Amino acid sequence: MLTTIEKIIFIVLAITAAGFTFHGFKTIIDSIRKGRPAPELKNIPASLLNAGVKVLFQQTIFKARKVLSAIHMGLFFGLITYAIVNLMDVLEGLVPGFDLVYGGKHIPNAPTGLVNAFNLIADVMSMFLLIAITVFLVRRFIVKDKALTYRDNVLLNPKVKAGGQARDSLTVGVFVIMHVVAHVLSQAYRLTEGADPFMPFASFLNSIFGVSETGVHVAWWVSIGWVMFIVPYLSRSKHTHFFMSPINLGLAKQNPRGQLDTPAKVDPGAKFLHDLSWKRVLDSYACVQCNRCQDVCPANFYGRPLSPSALEVNKRYLLKEATFGSHPDRLLVPLTESVISPEAVWSCTTCYACVRVCPVGNEPMADIVDIRRRMLIDGYEIDSGVQNALQSLATNGNWMSKGKRLRGRWAKEMEFPVKNATEEPVEHLWFVGDTASFDERVIPNTKMVARLFNQGGLDFGIMYQNESNSGNDVRRVGEEGLFEQLVEQNMAAFGKAQFKQIVTTDPHSFNTLKNEYPQFGGTFEVKHYTVTLLKLIEEGKLTIKNKLSNYKVTFHDPCYLGRYNGGFTAPRKLLELLGVEFHEMPRNCENSFCCGAGGGQIWMGKVAPGERPAENRIKEALTTFGEGSNAKTQLFIVTCPKDMIMYSDAVKTTGNEGKIEVRDIIQLVAEAVGIEEPIHAPVAA
Amino acid sequence: MNIVVAIKHIPSIADDLPVKGNNVDFDSVDFVLNEWDEHSIEQAVLIKESVGGTVTVIGVDLIGELDNALHLALAKGADKVVKITADDPAADSHMQAKWLSEAIKGMGANMVFAGVQASNDLDGQIGPMIAAYLDMPYIGGVSSVEANGDSATVNKEFAGGAGAKYAVSMPFVAGVQSAPKPPRYAPVSKVRQMAQSATVEKVAPSGDADVRERPLRILKMAPPVVTGHAEMIEGSSKEVAAKIVELLKSKGLA
Amino acid sequence: MSNDILVITEHMDGKFSDVSFEMVGKAKELASALGGQAVAVVVGGGVSSNVFASDSTIHIDDAALSNFNPEAYGKVIEALVKEKSPKVVMFGWTVTGMDVAAWLSARTGAPLAAYAKDVRVEGGSLVVSSQAYGGKLMAEVAPEGDMAIVACLAGSFPVEAGQGSTAGTTMASPVDAGSLKVKFVEAIKPAGGDVDITAQAKLVSIGRGIGGKENVELAEELAKALGATVSASRPVVDAGWLPRTRQVGKSGLKVKPKLYLMLGISGAPEHLEGMKSAELIIAVNTDKKAPIFNVAHYGATADLFEVAEAMLELL
Repeated sequence: MLTTIEKIIFIVLAITAAGFTFHGFKTIIDSIRKGRPAPELKNIPASLLNAGVKVLFQQTIFKARKVLSAIHMGLFFGLITYAIVNLMDVLEGLVPGFDLVYGGKHIPNAPTGLVNAFNLIADVMSMFLLIAITVFLVRRFIVKDKALTYRDNVLLNPKVKAGGQARDSLTVGVFVIMHVVAHVLSQAYRLTEGADPFMPFASFLNSIFGVSETGVHVAWWVSIGWVMFIVPYLSRSKHTHFFMSPINLGLAKQNPRGQLDTPAKVDPGAKFLHDLSWKRVLDSYACVQCNRCQDVCPANFYGRPLSPSALEVNKRYLLKEATFGSHPDRLLVPLTESVISPEAVWSCTTCYACVRVCPVGNEPMADIVDIRRRMLIDGYEIDSGVQNALQSLATNGNWMSKGKRLRGRWAKEMEFPVKNATEEPVEHLWFVGDTASFDERVIPNTKMVARLFNQGGLDFGIMYQNESNSGNDVRRVGEEGLFEQLVEQNMAAFGKAQFKQIVTTDPHSFNTLKNEYPQFGGTFEVKHYTVTLLKLIEEGKLTIKNKLSNYKVTFHDPCYLGRYNGGFTAPRKLLELLGVEFHEMPRNCENSFCCGAGGGQIWMGKVAPGERPAENRIKEALTTFGEGSNAKTQLFIVTCPKDMIMYSDAVKTTGNEGKIEVRDIIQLVAEAVGIEEPIHAPVAA
Repeated sequence: MNIVVAIKHIPSIADDLPVKGNNVDFDSVDFVLNEWDEHSIEQAVLIKESVGGTVTVIGVDLIGELDNALHLALAKGADKVVKITADDPAADSHMQAKWLSEAIKGMGANMVFAGVQASNDLDGQIGPMIAAYLDMPYIGGVSSVEANGDSATVNKEFAGGAGAKYAVSMPFVAGVQSAPKPPRYAPVSKVRQMAQSATVEKVAPSGDADVRERPLRILKMAPPVVTGHAEMIEGSSKEVAAKIVELLKSKGLA
Repeated sequence: MSNDILVITEHMDGKFSDVSFEMVGKAKELASALGGQAVAVVVGGGVSSNVFASDSTIHIDDAALSNFNPEAYGKVIEALVKEKSPKVVMFGWTVTGMDVAAWLSARTGAPLAAYAKDVRVEGGSLVVSSQAYGGKLMAEVAPEGDMAIVACLAGSFPVEAGQGSTAGTTMASPVDAGSLKVKFVEAIKPAGGDVDITAQAKLVSIGRGIGGKENVELAEELAKALGATVSASRPVVDAGWLPRTRQVGKSGLKVKPKLYLMLGISGAPEHLEGMKSAELIIAVNTDKKAPIFNVAHYGATADLFEVAEAMLELL
């Protein structure tokens, strides 16, 4: 089809574009390789294949925004189709007589059925693409969907602030429209023999524009010429997403969710971008700033200056300025000045919602922990409350400035002896945790757990003063050295004890004991108390005497039990056995909304203004219950001592006392089993 | 500037303190760094950071566990640490001050800092005693020290925000009430690094003959006899609040 | 050698502190048991020393000593002690007495009993009850030897017993002011403009339990509703959440309001020293074993934020 001169121009252009594209990707790969080592990945081909399947079926985006995700799917299939379409267009241009219209009947021995099928798919996909891209452009530029913007207090690269991303979107959006329209036109102009039933869209255009040899050439050049420009451009824009997201997904974290990467021995944590692991440098190229992470981020909800997506886009702009631009020194600007503000760093609750929801396998939360790690080492002035907590943890092994020997005080007040697991063998070593051991508001629940274990004939003991804080939140605050110290103290205590399994009250302890202690040689069977209780009931060791049908309840999945460790069923099964009227909140299980206490937030001395995540959650619970009759007591059930404190407080601050009460599941089990004890009113009462 | 910080390792009062004989049962308590010593270390490091010099931290090792506190001091910026190996948990302030003075004597200190007090100062604080033994002036209740040449400007706190500024010639001993900034946090990894790489100089206790002669004899120690106890208001927070308000109203206070 | 008791009194801005009178009263009691005299010692000029019920008063009246100077005071007292050879020297365990008592003990070799809450004579010897370990323990100690130094916690004895009048002997300072290594430069006045918490009838006092600076606002609101002023314990002030002028306790101010409502203060002895004579003390704390409950008239084991918020609604 093309003239010789056109062919020469095309080949020159193609080689140039290939050169720029190669350079683009080489630059990206080089900068990824400058990152620090990431945890070793096993069986990479299999993970890549698995990721490929996920991408093909677009599984990972459907975790949120179902409708937009469906449109993304259309866009995705459209673009995949267009990769082949473009190849065919090139062949049509270069190979004389290669013409696919009318089933390719001018090509000798062409498989007409196949060509017709291809033509139909390409034609239909063209329409899908145009619709999809129009929806996205309208969403961004006309509806101006807030989900695509950042809060004013979020640190943004100046170019992003000046609208760099929007320009990116517009460029690629306009390209897609022109490319697709031009391609369809180039087909339409060829329809010399009237409509082709397998090309309805092209035929429709043909009925308007007719046939034109010049038109074929012009349209071809617009369509394919654009490609020569856009492909190199993609490597320098957020649309590296097209290529990097499947790779990133294939190389995503393989370790358990609840296991943080071990920091480097020398200069641990991250001050500069290339202090991050290579995998997390790659993250920034996979991110297309869909902001699903921002939607689910409790800190962002709370009005804090944190947006995981902004972190990724800032990373990429920094890399772009340093590697494609003329500012290699930008990589020597600390991350806390170029990528994320210190206040944002310290507002993360490490709830994992951002990582969980990310369709491309990014781990912005891990970056934040790494940045915290270095800030601590470099003596950055940390929040006084956090400092007090850490100091007490280093001295007393708990964050509440209590003496070690007071840890078992509650147990000594019990009406039966509670075994010391470091002195006599027990089947279940109960790792109680700080809040449940020391906080007067939670101790009544702790005692109730002990009574139920006792009643159920469970052979259990605690470690009294030998137990130290498990270190889960210490590690997430970035104090790795203190975490290691606490692990050593606990490992020494476990060494003195004889037990078959560990049971925990606190999901945070549960997480680190289960997922991180193995990194230090502590492989134990660890259970959360909801599982242990369920087993006691199912085995008939605890009998439910009273069905609690007078309660209308909802359940909050604690991040570290649910999202991190999949402990969704035991608490729900328990509630079912207790006979309560159960209502599921819209955000449940994997999609549960953090109470706001994790990652050291509970230690912070300063409380920011604004609606707190826990307050929002209480409102969600009340909406779930609806306005119906209030004959039943409405309960918000928790299985984490920190939740008990956070939500009891939120019920009060939202003025909902009397409407909803926060209870630990243990209180319901006790009531159903009929344990007679002065159930001291919980905090909420 | 050569600054020596004398610290005290004391039984932690975060726990209940059991008594054995006529003193604390030292075997069943944890020893911690005196909280005011954190301020005196901070003050010393701040001076070093502004005018240069060395900070030496020295303490009496009463139970063989002082190293931790010394490593912590190194991680916070001290240059050298010394422990006096006494192995006598019951050593009182006079004994410790004497041992410390003997060890500090040859160090050529321009300033010696100590925490203004410690919770076990039954026989007084070590700061003024070290000053007396070394024949240096002492000033306590100090909230800031600025070194200028061979003298220092020292702020002492009295009460309720009142205080006074003093010019003190070196060498002198200061009892630090609070550093101008809250004591910094030392990451445990740094402390552990110090534990691996730093050397703790050991000094044998000496010079205590005359203070041993006239100790403050302890006859008995016991938890205080509680003479009264508040009338406890029971119930939920709301009920407590209501009762308090009612009480205040009945007394014409609200 | 005498059986006299020297009481080192304290004054500031021309006024003697309560602990001075408390000690004089106690010294009289001890002196009669020991067969000696209770001697009030006044160091410094600018103050009238004829206010004590002591057997005699010695006034080292020197304008150079008007402002407290730990070095000068120490030397003056040391010289006096050498001359008088008393049986007992009493100091206040205060921000000034603490600078001298232990120094004198080390200089003279006389034992010191600090944190004294009670002093008595048993079988001819002195026995002191002292607070130890932040009030967790009480110790009975015997300062033995020719001379004993006792440093008394303020508020341990009645003030009235020490008030009276005894014309004193005036002495010149034995210390050459020019040779001192510690020189008084200037007084630092409390930041101006703030309220005087000692003059308030009602105080809402906050401690470590308040958690953070942001939360001070809640206490301010509650205080406003009660017509009270916010005061605090040392940690709150050290953290910079409230100015020094609001600090109650040993290193802060002594207050005696009609109402002292305590939120999140556990009750360290140093704090108790500053507020225990308040007429009505109500304490809210989460730790049921907090020592403050031994001193307060009313107490509640509860969350201070919840109680404060609930009170606000009712007021």
